[in-house]
Amino acid sequence: MKAAPFSYRRAATLDEALAAGGESSRFLAGGQSLVPMMNLRLTLADTMIDISGLAELRRSAGEGDRVFIGAGVTHAMIEDGRIEDPSRGYLRHVAGGIAFRSVRNRGTLGGSLAHADPAADWPTALLALGAEAVIRSAGGERRLPLARFQLGLMETALRPDEILVGVTVPALSDLARWSYQKFCRKSGEFAHSIAAVVRDPVRELAEVVLGAAGDKPCRLGRVSALLAEGGRVDPQQLGQVVDEDVRDTTGLAASSYEFHLHRTMVVRACARLQEQT
Amino acid sequence: MTDKDTSGSSAAAAKGVGARLRRREDWRHLRGRGQFVGDIRVPGMLEVAFVRSASAHGIVRDIVIPDEYRDQVFTARDFPGVKPIVAVPKIDGFKYSEHPALATDRVRFAGEPVAMAIAPTRAMAEDIADSVFVDIEELPAVVDTVAATLPGAPLIREEWGDNVYVARDAEFGDLAAARREAAVVIEREYRMNRQSAVPLEGRAILAVWDDRLDELCVYTGSQSPHQTRVGMAQVLGIEERRLRLISPDMGGGFGAKRVLYPEELMVAALALKLKRPVRWLDDKREHLLSAIHCREHHHKVKAYADARGRILGLDVEVYVDAGAYSHWPNSPFMETGMVAKNIPGPYDVPSYRCRSYTVATNKSPIGAYRGVARPAACFTIERTIDEIAHAVGREPWEVRVENMVPEHAMPYRSITNLIFDTGNYGESVRRAAGLIELAGVRARQKQGEADGRLIGVGFAAFTEQTAHGCGEWVSRGTPVIPGYESATARMMPDGSLMLMVGIVSHGQGLETALSQIAHQELSIDPAHVSVRHGDTQVSPFGMGTFASRSMVMSGGAVARACRLLRAKMAAIAAYALKCEAEALRFEDERVHGPEGSMGFDEIGRIAHLRQEALPPGMEPLLDVTTTYEPQVDTGVFTYATHAAVVAVDPDTGKVDLLDYACVEDCGTVVNPMIVDGQIIGGIVQGIGTALYEEIPYDENGQPLATTLGDYLMPGAPEAPPIKIGHMVTPTPHTEYGMKGMGEGGAIPPPAAIANAVRDALRGLGAELNETPMTPQRVRAAIVAAAEGVSRTTRVHREGEVLQ
Amino acid sequence: MKLALTVNGAPVAGEIEDRMTLADFVRDHCGLTGTHLGCEHGVCGACSVLVDGEPVRACITLAAAVDGRAVTTIEGFEDDAAMAVIRECFSEAHGLQCGFCTPGMVIMVRDALARGCCGSEHQIRDQLAGNLCRCTGYAGIVKATEMARDRLAKAG
Repeated sequence: MKAAPFSYRRAATLDEALAAGGESSRFLAGGQSLVPMMNLRLTLADTMIDISGLAELRRSAGEGDRVFIGAGVTHAMIEDGRIEDPSRGYLRHVAGGIAFRSVRNRGTLGGSLAHADPAADWPTALLALGAEAVIRSAGGERRLPLARFQLGLMETALRPDEILVGVTVPALSDLARWSYQKFCRKSGEFAHSIAAVVRDPVRELAEVVLGAAGDKPCRLGRVSALLAEGGRVDPQQLGQVVDEDVRDTTGLAASSYEFHLHRTMVVRACARLQEQT
Repeated sequence: MTDKDTSGSSAAAAKGVGARLRRREDWRHLRGRGQFVGDIRVPGMLEVAFVRSASAHGIVRDIVIPDEYRDQVFTARDFPGVKPIVAVPKIDGFKYSEHPALATDRVRFAGEPVAMAIAPTRAMAEDIADSVFVDIEELPAVVDTVAATLPGAPLIREEWGDNVYVARDAEFGDLAAARREAAVVIEREYRMNRQSAVPLEGRAILAVWDDRLDELCVYTGSQSPHQTRVGMAQVLGIEERRLRLISPDMGGGFGAKRVLYPEELMVAALALKLKRPVRWLDDKREHLLSAIHCREHHHKVKAYADARGRILGLDVEVYVDAGAYSHWPNSPFMETGMVAKNIPGPYDVPSYRCRSYTVATNKSPIGAYRGVARPAACFTIERTIDEIAHAVGREPWEVRVENMVPEHAMPYRSITNLIFDTGNYGESVRRAAGLIELAGVRARQKQGEADGRLIGVGFAAFTEQTAHGCGEWVSRGTPVIPGYESATARMMPDGSLMLMVGIVSHGQGLETALSQIAHQELSIDPAHVSVRHGDTQVSPFGMGTFASRSMVMSGGAVARACRLLRAKMAAIAAYALKCEAEALRFEDERVHGPEGSMGFDEIGRIAHLRQEALPPGMEPLLDVTTTYEPQVDTGVFTYATHAAVVAVDPDTGKVDLLDYACVEDCGTVVNPMIVDGQIIGGIVQGIGTALYEEIPYDENGQPLATTLGDYLMPGAPEAPPIKIGHMVTPTPHTEYGMKGMGEGGAIPPPAAIANAVRDALRGLGAELNETPMTPQRVRAAIVAAAEGVSRTTRVHREGEVLQ
Repeated sequence: MKLALTVNGAPVAGEIEDRMTLADFVRDHCGLTGTHLGCEHGVCGACSVLVDGEPVRACITLAAAVDGRAVTTIEGFEDDAAMAVIRECFSEAHGLQCGFCTPGMVIMVRDALARGCCGSEHQIRDQLAGNLCRCTGYAGIVKATEMARDRLAKAG
């Protein structure tokens, strides 16, 4: 199971990487998703541009009441607390549950977002955190709310001449609560359902996101609104609202296994959140 | 709870039979210094990549090879001398078919090898293979096992008239009486889905032509190199003396490396043709596609019992999905034959009928994966006996015990003519109930779980026929009868010992365990014993490692050879020490007489270098070759009862294993550490079958699990801590009373777990009768029960008929 | 492309195809065959090696991507004190059978122990979730890890 031939080049600077990008090339960060696909010959690229050495992508920095986390930051760096966690443990918790340690040592936050596998962790988890994508091209920088960055199955708003350089996330307040529920058949595999819930009344965040349910993670509007109201939520009402949102965002039949799984995960995530208040 | 075995003195026990001796194999593997086929590099070596059929069934119209690669791609046409593999067992009615190593005019499963590409590296070989276009005119694929047998199904071989390798019908006892007298009738269908053995190291072969020796040397991970040589030589048309097979270190086998694979044959053929070294290493995708498949059974059962739950009779219809071709030497009939024999389990069953169909489909051919058909037989009988127990309102483990063949009845001829030699089956059930702390589980169930999960406990028992010999294999129709094993014991001039054996240790620690036997017989320190296995040039003809036979068969041969050696050593020593041989004692590598002793090195020197000191008339050398077979060829029966405690999430359908216990009896144990390791390893493979592993096929015959991303195998978190209890009932038929046990662990977990899930979901009326018990299937069972879809359990109580 | 890196403490240079994985590089170019290929798509963990002291899956790491870095394969732990304890415990607790998963397994165990993540059986199993073993059923591996943890703690 060997990859088809390609050229490898290592970008010394972000500008060099941007200049080299094109239709038949791929940016290589940790390679934990890309290299297996190349080995299986499911993905073919003429050129792999290695951006894993770019120091400017492997950093974090405060930006007022938000924090910038570089796309090159690895899951292990977040898991270990080697970058400051502005999310009151949420990011560390999510990072520590991704695949396996040896994958986390190389896999990057930006790689996961750019790859846009809906069953991966960061696309769902960061959407629930109200993250914003920071994108660079030769022409400059643009920022997009993550919901507008994620377009579909393995599809993002990135153009061939652009690189995702990082995300910004809010620095959560003391009143923030979160719950992250992931359903896997066995440890470390891709999820079959993810419910990510983040509530921070100070940052005006009430985000309930369902992942691994469709082409991309989806914010559940009614459930999020219910959460935003604050106070105790009646389980009956919660269940009804969850059912409506799952039905509308996934189009799945209520009698299907998947529907029941997703609604179960969302209900449980919300219940866990309630327990913390 | 362990009955201690009483063989040998305590000194022997430290390194002999019964010792927890640490393995000599460990040193090299812990340092990455094992030598697997893929680790062997030979100058000028070419790597092979196979071009495989993308279609499940079709006519090969053309194979288009780009001009620049014409010399690097080979098809069947390039090997006119290579015959097809023919694996037709000596069973009445088994239809004839041929298995061409490279497809000729037809392809019959997705992944079937069509051509070979060669290059200096595997990556380049894959590039070339990708450039070859195979033009296939597709035919409808035969996928559903039962539907394949119905009239009107597309045919895989027109000349057969159907898709059935062989159909059998056997009836024993008076089933009509059972039907009349039954107070309870259980009707069920059980299904185990298709999976693969997936040893961590795939198949591997390196074939090197040797001009000096005028032979082809083939390094191959094979569990039976001597047998494989026979088959390979026949098909290649080369004399066996010019073919040497060497199995170096092997990363697991489990039955996946037991057959003569087309790929291996073609690599050898190519090396013969080119007179260049040629290597092929199976990657996981092609392993999942084309290495042996297994486990796919569909059983329809009617069980008849009395009001106490005593079985009166079983009427079963069995479909085994054998795939597109018959492998050599284990034809698919072996699977069907075994399941038919083993469905009655460890029970006293008065009447039994089994109609069986060995079905051809457009899927990878099956082979004998750990346990072979016994997991499916166990699933059927153990689920059924649980349903009988539920129908009569009794604890399943108690109903089991009452149906089991009792100890005092042994040796006992089962309804299918298996001769259970020794054992207390009922006691293993009782002890398993204790080990799993049944009372505690029942109490916990009454309390309920805070997180809403449902707890259940389930049992499953089985017998495993091991070390069976000539008569049994003849009845299975195999072309090779592995009814014996051989060993050469050679003492060197310096008194150290070499054992050369025909089995292949590939994880079972036989290099260590066999040296323990040499210690037992001779007092030689295992550290002074070399065990050479897996090389057809080094050992006498031997059958190999499979069917849980090696310790009994090869251990028996080693014991016998060592005893013959000992007798000669004693004669030499008696002459030198001027005493009777009977007065001698072997201890600490010296032979002790009433007045003086001699070291093994002195005896070795006399036998080889100082023949003037030999007793008159004695030939030099200390070199013994012998064969061994147990005193009965009907096998010695290991048995066990397993118990599983599960927690089922009724909303997600996830099944978690909370506890697992096994009480087993494999007779005398040579190395308890190795035996426990085999049990646990087998159990976790069984858990894989029960909960995770499956290769589904779509209606076009395309397999839907082709990488380890889709084909889930248990990792450490999926394996529960496992409690093991031992009973030791030595069998009178083997050396030291040992029985084989390598496969046993893998046999009952699907049944035990399914019974535990049944117990957990009793309140919901749901049952799982299909493996793997994925969250979807569990949830579907819960939903079906809620919608009132009923199984057929008819209970006659005082004239009342219940649905 | 040209590559220069350190493997087991020694400088190694080579001219390789750009697509060559680190696993194939150490096996075929350096002759270090202790790193095994179990799947080549990053699932089984048999190919685990260290890069700059941290475990990675060599089968899904391009050799080119570790140009200039320090790679340690199983062969590089001959004199490693922690690995010596781990090896001893694996043998005592029967943590290996066929040996194919073993190099990757002990490298991950060593890393998990070094990070102090082996406090409970549950944690140990979790840390080793990415290393498949088809032979042992993991019991011996878990026991060996617990034993090694306790012995290394005693040794200080």
